[in-house]
Amino acid sequence: MIARGCRLIAIACAAVCVAGCDWMPGRPTQAEMPLRPSAITDFARLYGENCAGCHGVDGKLGPAIALNNPVYLAIVDDAAMHRVIADGTAGTAMPPFAGAQGGNLTDQQIDIVVAGIRKQWSGDKSVGAGAPPYSSNSPGDSNRGGQVYAANCASCHGADGKAGNAGSIADASFLALVSNQNLRTIVIAGRPDFGHPDWKSYSARQALTAQQVSDVVAWIAAKRPASMLSALSAAQH
Amino acid sequence: MAVMQRIKAVGAWLDERLQLGSTIAEVAEHPVPRSSASWWYIFGSATLVVLIMQIVTGICLATVYTPAANGAWESLIYLNYQQPLGWYIRALHGWGSNFMVALMLVHMVQVFLFGAHKYPRELTWVAGIVLLLCTLGMAFTGQVLRFDQDAYWGLGIGASIAGRSPLIGPKIVDLILGGPIIAGETLSRFFALHVFVIPGLLLAFVGLHLFLVLRLGINEWPMPGRIVTREKYRQQYKELVQRDGEPFFPFAAQKDIVFAGLIILSLVVVAAVMGPIGPGGQPDPTIIQTVPRPDFFFLWLFSVFALLPPWTETFLMLVGPPIAIGLLFAVPFLSGTGEKSWRARPFAVVIVTLILLAIGTLTWLGTYSPWSPQMEAWTEAPVPPDYLKGRTPLELQGAILIQYKQCRNCHSLGGQGGMRGPALGDTAARLTRDEIIRQIVQGGGNMPAYGKNLSPAEVNAIVAFLGTMHPANEPPARDSAKPAEPAASQ
Repeated sequence: MIARGCRLIAIACAAVCVAGCDWMPGRPTQAEMPLRPSAITDFARLYGENCAGCHGVDGKLGPAIALNNPVYLAIVDDAAMHRVIADGTAGTAMPPFAGAQGGNLTDQQIDIVVAGIRKQWSGDKSVGAGAPPYSSNSPGDSNRGGQVYAANCASCHGADGKAGNAGSIADASFLALVSNQNLRTIVIAGRPDFGHPDWKSYSARQALTAQQVSDVVAWIAAKRPASMLSALSAAQH
Repeated sequence: MAVMQRIKAVGAWLDERLQLGSTIAEVAEHPVPRSSASWWYIFGSATLVVLIMQIVTGICLATVYTPAANGAWESLIYLNYQQPLGWYIRALHGWGSNFMVALMLVHMVQVFLFGAHKYPRELTWVAGIVLLLCTLGMAFTGQVLRFDQDAYWGLGIGASIAGRSPLIGPKIVDLILGGPIIAGETLSRFFALHVFVIPGLLLAFVGLHLFLVLRLGINEWPMPGRIVTREKYRQQYKELVQRDGEPFFPFAAQKDIVFAGLIILSLVVVAAVMGPIGPGGQPDPTIIQTVPRPDFFFLWLFSVFALLPPWTETFLMLVGPPIAIGLLFAVPFLSGTGEKSWRARPFAVVIVTLILLAIGTLTWLGTYSPWSPQMEAWTEAPVPPDYLKGRTPLELQGAILIQYKQCRNCHSLGGQGGMRGPALGDTAARLTRDEIIRQIVQGGGNMPAYGKNLSPAEVNAIVAFLGTMHPANEPPARDSAKPAEPAASQ
């Protein structure tokens, strides 16, 4: 009996040796290989460690704009996205991530983040068809913008931007913290994750035109207190 | 059969000259008290068996390991990912070290509670304490040889503790590191310690320890009321062994063998399931995205050093360890006679329990170090969406600023983030708007003042967001000096 038991154990041990180490759960896999922070090329990990805090898991439901938004991805090009990630947006809470600017990411890693965002979250490209451009050189007319606001925004943000169910967008502190580009992006792309409409859904009758977007942004920006104007524009230019 | 006879003849020839057979027989058959052949008396031999495992796996590793600062980490990566079964040898060696420390501590506690350190076995205990220190020395130097970020910073902390010694501090640092900084020579030094110096000491003291166990006999099972005296103990032990003794082999050894076998089997399985320990990231001081931790058995020390009030640090770090080690050595001289049984030594039981509880608690704290800020939380810990739904634009900006200004590194939200400060999820239920502003701008308690680092708009936004932070069924805190608003239903 004992001899047979010993033989069985010996065979089992030999089998383990022959089968080698591939199936043993403790064997380290390539994915566990420790990498220099600058050598990480996995989008999920880069996004999770650097972006998810503000832009949310899966690019939505975070306090900062949703990246998982086909409209946003339709209007922004890779160069602009790369620039914002690398250099940040001065005067706002978007920090620079490029190593040269004091951030932790290499140029290549920023490219990976940009490509990953576009690949994972572009969704249905037709959703963004016909959207106003990401940026515009023509300064809007704030008077006309007031009318656009009253027709499209006031129902949630209140007359003159002072209150409403969705809160004020004329609050001095709020306007001191956001750039005009940020306002423009949200007016066009909305926050679908929080139910904020995009440029074509404010009114059932017609979508906002590029000019109307510029006008309403100009109207909102004009509410920014004069004392904050100089600081923000100095930071942005 | 002819072959067997030939082997026997060679054996007899050798034995005639070496006299090994009778020595081994004498050792194996020396009588031990029947009561000592217990399942409580098996931890020392199991520790020895794990030590032998460590030597074998250590030699295997030494054939591949490069003891140079620019090659050590790479050679471990090679072992883990390329050398067939290299990872497994590393796992056996790493977990073997954990097993050895654990078994040694159990052995020590058992010896202390069973009074085995008392007359005439004082020096057996002293040799045991040297073995404990050697084993911890092996554990620390082994952790350094892993030469990853944990090793690098662990070494830096060790050296800076040593550097606090008055007058000779810098000299000690030079001696440990082979220079003023961690460099190529540091690793060579620790390699020599781990592979030659400490193992040499370890083996010498194992020899002494075993020799003393054989010469003085294994401790008898302690009975309350059986008092140890210097005058009578030797005679009593002799009579006990004559009256009620059995040969060590196989009577007592069979339990040792079974337990040692179980330990080896568990080690083999644990190593296969858990895999090798480390190496973590490269030992590069320019990589600051790291959270270095010492190995498991030093976590309690890590906690102690982190929690000491700053003004006591230098004194306690330099004076504490020598006193603790001195006390361990002094144990058999402080209580060398008298009762052996733990049933009759309540003070001993209380001391052991307190020490184990303290070390256990500190180790547990060390695993998650609530005193350390989590430096990556501001970019990687998302704000739970429930805190964001239905918020105004200003409140959302506040949530962004909570991240951007790195509040989360010390304050958790939704269970993620640092634990230095209170969690933010119920801020508004605890503090009024004015109190939140005051706390942020002026600091207080353990929190720095952020007034100079935040613009008025930023403070407004953060306060607006924090003002939403109260449980749905709990109203926000209100100023007690102002009359409460009448409830709507009345």
